Amino acid sequence: MRISYSWLKERLELGLPPEELVRRLPSVGLEVASLERKGPAFSGVVTAEVLSVAKHPDADRLSLCQVTDGAQTYSVVCGAPNVAAGQKVPFARVGATLPGGKLSKAKIRGVESEGMICSAVELSLGTQASDIMVLDPATAVGVDAAELLGGGDVVLDIEVTPNRPDLLSHLGIARELSICFGLPLRKEVETTLQEDGELKPFPVEILSTGECPRYVGRLIEGVEVKDSPGWLKAKLEAVGLRPVNNVVDITNFILMDAGQPLHAFDADSIEGGRIIVRLAKPGESILALDGKRYPLSPEHLVIADASKPVAIAGVMGGQATSVTAKTKRLFLESAHFAPPGVRRASQALRLRSDSSFRFERGTDVSAAEWASHSAALLISRLCGKSVRVSPPLDVYPGRREPSPIRVAAARINAILGSDFPKADIEGVVERVCAKTSREGDCLVAVPPSWRCDLATPWDLAEEAARVLGYDRIPARVAPAALRPTEELRSHAVSRKSRSRMAALGFHECWSYDFLSVRQVSLLELPEAEQVALTNPLSEDWAVLRPSLAPGLLDAARRNNARAESVRLFEVGKVYRRAGAAVEERTRLAALLLGPMTPAHWRAPKETAGFFDAKAVMADLLSGVPGLRWTASGDGPGNGFAGDHLFLPSNRLFIQAPTGKLLATLGALHPRLARAWEMERQRPVLFEIDLDHLAGLSSPAPVFRAFSPFPSSWRDLSVVVRENVPYEEIEACIRSLRIGELDSVQLVDLYEGSGVPEGKRSLSLRLVFGRPDRTLTDAEVSSAVERILAELKNRFDAALRT
Amino acid sequence: MGMDTSEWLRSFEATRAAADGWNPCETETLEALGRLRLDFLGRGGRLTESLKGLKGLSLDDRRKLGPRAQSLKASLAERIQRRKSELESSLDLSLEKDRVDVTLPALPPGRGRLHPLTLMALEMTDILRRMGFSVADGPLVEDDWHNFGALNIPEHHPARDMQDTFYLKDLPFLLRTHTSPVQIRAMERARPPLRVICPGGRVFRHDQVDATHSAVFHQVECLAVDRGITFADLKGTLDVFMKSLLGPSTKTRFRPSYFQFTEPSAEVDVSCLLCGGKGCPVCKLSGWLEMLGAGVVNPAVFKAVGLDPEEWSGFAFGLGVERLAIMKYRIPDIRLFYENDLRFLRQFDENIV
Repeated sequence: MRISYSWLKERLELGLPPEELVRRLPSVGLEVASLERKGPAFSGVVTAEVLSVAKHPDADRLSLCQVTDGAQTYSVVCGAPNVAAGQKVPFARVGATLPGGKLSKAKIRGVESEGMICSAVELSLGTQASDIMVLDPATAVGVDAAELLGGGDVVLDIEVTPNRPDLLSHLGIARELSICFGLPLRKEVETTLQEDGELKPFPVEILSTGECPRYVGRLIEGVEVKDSPGWLKAKLEAVGLRPVNNVVDITNFILMDAGQPLHAFDADSIEGGRIIVRLAKPGESILALDGKRYPLSPEHLVIADASKPVAIAGVMGGQATSVTAKTKRLFLESAHFAPPGVRRASQALRLRSDSSFRFERGTDVSAAEWASHSAALLISRLCGKSVRVSPPLDVYPGRREPSPIRVAAARINAILGSDFPKADIEGVVERVCAKTSREGDCLVAVPPSWRCDLATPWDLAEEAARVLGYDRIPARVAPAALRPTEELRSHAVSRKSRSRMAALGFHECWSYDFLSVRQVSLLELPEAEQVALTNPLSEDWAVLRPSLAPGLLDAARRNNARAESVRLFEVGKVYRRAGAAVEERTRLAALLLGPMTPAHWRAPKETAGFFDAKAVMADLLSGVPGLRWTASGDGPGNGFAGDHLFLPSNRLFIQAPTGKLLATLGALHPRLARAWEMERQRPVLFEIDLDHLAGLSSPAPVFRAFSPFPSSWRDLSVVVRENVPYEEIEACIRSLRIGELDSVQLVDLYEGSGVPEGKRSLSLRLVFGRPDRTLTDAEVSSAVERILAELKNRFDAALRT
Repeated sequence: MGMDTSEWLRSFEATRAAADGWNPCETETLEALGRLRLDFLGRGGRLTESLKGLKGLSLDDRRKLGPRAQSLKASLAERIQRRKSELESSLDLSLEKDRVDVTLPALPPGRGRLHPLTLMALEMTDILRRMGFSVADGPLVEDDWHNFGALNIPEHHPARDMQDTFYLKDLPFLLRTHTSPVQIRAMERARPPLRVICPGGRVFRHDQVDATHSAVFHQVECLAVDRGITFADLKGTLDVFMKSLLGPSTKTRFRPSYFQFTEPSAEVDVSCLLCGGKGCPVCKLSGWLEMLGAGVVNPAVFKAVGLDPEEWSGFAFGLGVERLAIMKYRIPDIRLFYENDLRFLRQFDENIV
């Protein structure tokens, strides 16, 4: 809300300099987004009265005026057509500084001019260049015009929270400052409005009283639509509104001054001479003031005449009934619309206005009546000499009195944990509320009509805290809860796996949850399982990720340019649609790309591959019992949109003891590598379902004795067909249940010359030992013989020579 | 029973001849020298045995022969010691030849890093857990009731403008706009007293992404519900929390604000991390940084989850993880958190001191 400091001062006895006010406002909950100093563009300009106007002897279009500033009379040449005797005007004396320069004595067409009557342009107060600024006739002469016209104004942009629509006006801010800082409000000058009882406003019929609890209408005749006087234009421009004409400007002025939205219709364009407040009919539409046509539906409240909607209630008027230069008769609407309806219409039509902004937050229902009065008064003063104003027609079917709040000062202190004196708390409640009475220890407070946000003792507690000062509430540290705190298991699993991955050399990534449709299609996720957004920020961000892989691939591509060792991981949510629900699961994914280590004189120059990823995943899952690592992923509950990520020949699936798929691992499929511009490299990835993992448990370590006697080992190189999986060979050895066999390690793998085509040589290191003694050579040899014999038997293995 | 003198002498003379015949230069290693020393002077060594044998001789012989044996022992021990020193210094010389350029760069162990937002969230969670809060969580895909309705933000309320929302296509869900629905879920799950945090939960806002706005960000949410909890408890808890997080000299300031789900509500500032409150460009000369939103749980929220606001009271606060990380690490652009550039990710480490 833009607040003009000088305007505010007309409402409030405000002695503080603007900077001081800005400094103090946050303590009562008002944020100032900006402070704009409307520099005094001129000085030495005073208010003056035009005493007489005569023709310039030598120029038709110039006049010679006598002007007084109260102290002295000046002879001035003026070129404006609108100058007239009796006007109050801004007058620049010789020596005044104007935006265009310093004013000196000048001879114009042979006649000396002792100063200049200024236009808005000459004072940088507006855009009207040809006419002089005509001030309010009530203006005193000899006053510094800079002060009066807002030439030296300060405009504050105050952020108003949605619960305080009552602050969306100069009056509202003035009231608030008065309560919070104890500054007196200025009394409004009582001016009586001459109402013409002969004149009858249009009949108003409200069909939706829930949506429109009150409607005040007036008919005004004899209106002359023209430019507003300078002071009015200056005020509107100060708060960021563009002056239109005197009628529209007056409604806008009331909006900004009192917070009540008004609308003036051209009464002659209202068909049938009556107003109906109703829901729109199917098929109706309206050409609004912004020049656009809006289709209306039966959930939109409209103001209609006998045949058509003339305004979208509370949002915007229609062009057909708008006030134009030709308008002579006005119908002035001052209504109260219920917030939800206005908001619904404004959102559905994507149309917002200063009116809808206020109505949807809640306006003061009482203002509908008095704002109409204020507007009519201004119209009768500023829109020509023959204005006739009808009495108001006040249709108020939705009358509701604010409910009183019963609260004791002690209750407020109990909510706040404060120790404010009873009198201070009650003082605030009395200042904030319209009426208070006493009932024992309690105050019964009736909120004012403009404070729709006050309904409970908590609301009044906030008022008390705000006015008396949040900083006066003590800080108390709650006594320790003597209960152990719990960590969610899923959270603990995420936390531990993150730490483990970092320890294993991986850098943690955080990616956005959004993918493009194209990326999701690369993952071959059926459309029925995709979770799409109704309102994505862009096409690239249309679907929620079903896998963490695309995010890591994006990150890998970004880092790939520097040929670094890229080892990344992420822990995050993935999403899959399952019928009418969304399945949301936490996953951990990791990616390896490029050299295993940075280029370094001590480091081997090897590229990360499938088995490096496998090693990392094995480390991460070590200790989890009963996992099954397989080359095919046909397990139930396969929710992985990762199956299509990998080369079929280069992937692994890990099943939990439940049979559910827990993780996948593999080298990226070339199709995807191409999509991510990494064709020549082969990133390896894995993805683990941490929610599944959190459901498993690993036993705590239990000490197992190891032999104090030296162990013996033998290396055994056997040649087997290359299609025999290593896993089977090790399983075969273990199936012999040789108690002395401690471990089997594959220490070398060889294919090539010396080994027959289609076969490979495996070098196995077999380690033997007993807990009670050292084994003899003969015992070890016999065990190795058994193993070799079994391998020959099962796989036709031959000892490599 | 003693050895007779001549027998002793024969043995001693043989030992002396062997000792005298030892050419120290021929013993080239410390190990060989050690063996030689043991042979003569060790327990059971030749000379040691001779000295022990003296005890069996007559007093006269002992007087006559004792000093000779002692002197041989002393001179041999001295020669061994001298040779030992020689060998040791030559060892130093040969070690000198093996010297390496110790200024060569070492290969760093390939340790990874946690994301700065993880570090930040963990730090906050740790402090709050020590203060007695348990961890709670909720889904990111939320329903309207948990994200808005139960939090006293009815449909068509302008407060919804404060949180532009992503909606799901064909489904009655949205992406949660704040971690406050976790409050509702915690209260639905368990009866008070409750002290829970949502540690670094992801939230979404329909906001164009730029240097200071992100469509995805994270909040730490905190809720305490008990009998007799007041605004003063909120102030005290946040004061302790902020001091633990940002340093013992940190000050907090509470300003009135507005959230639908708290009443009274507050915006909480902390003294500027950079200037400590004196005023600098980071805090725009105010000395304060806006840090988080907080308040006393609105009775409407209690009613929404079936708790009696006359019996229970509580406080809640939520703060942005990114916001804090940006201030703490002085990160100029919020997008850096989601670009996953290794040059960025490597910068944030938990130092051990």
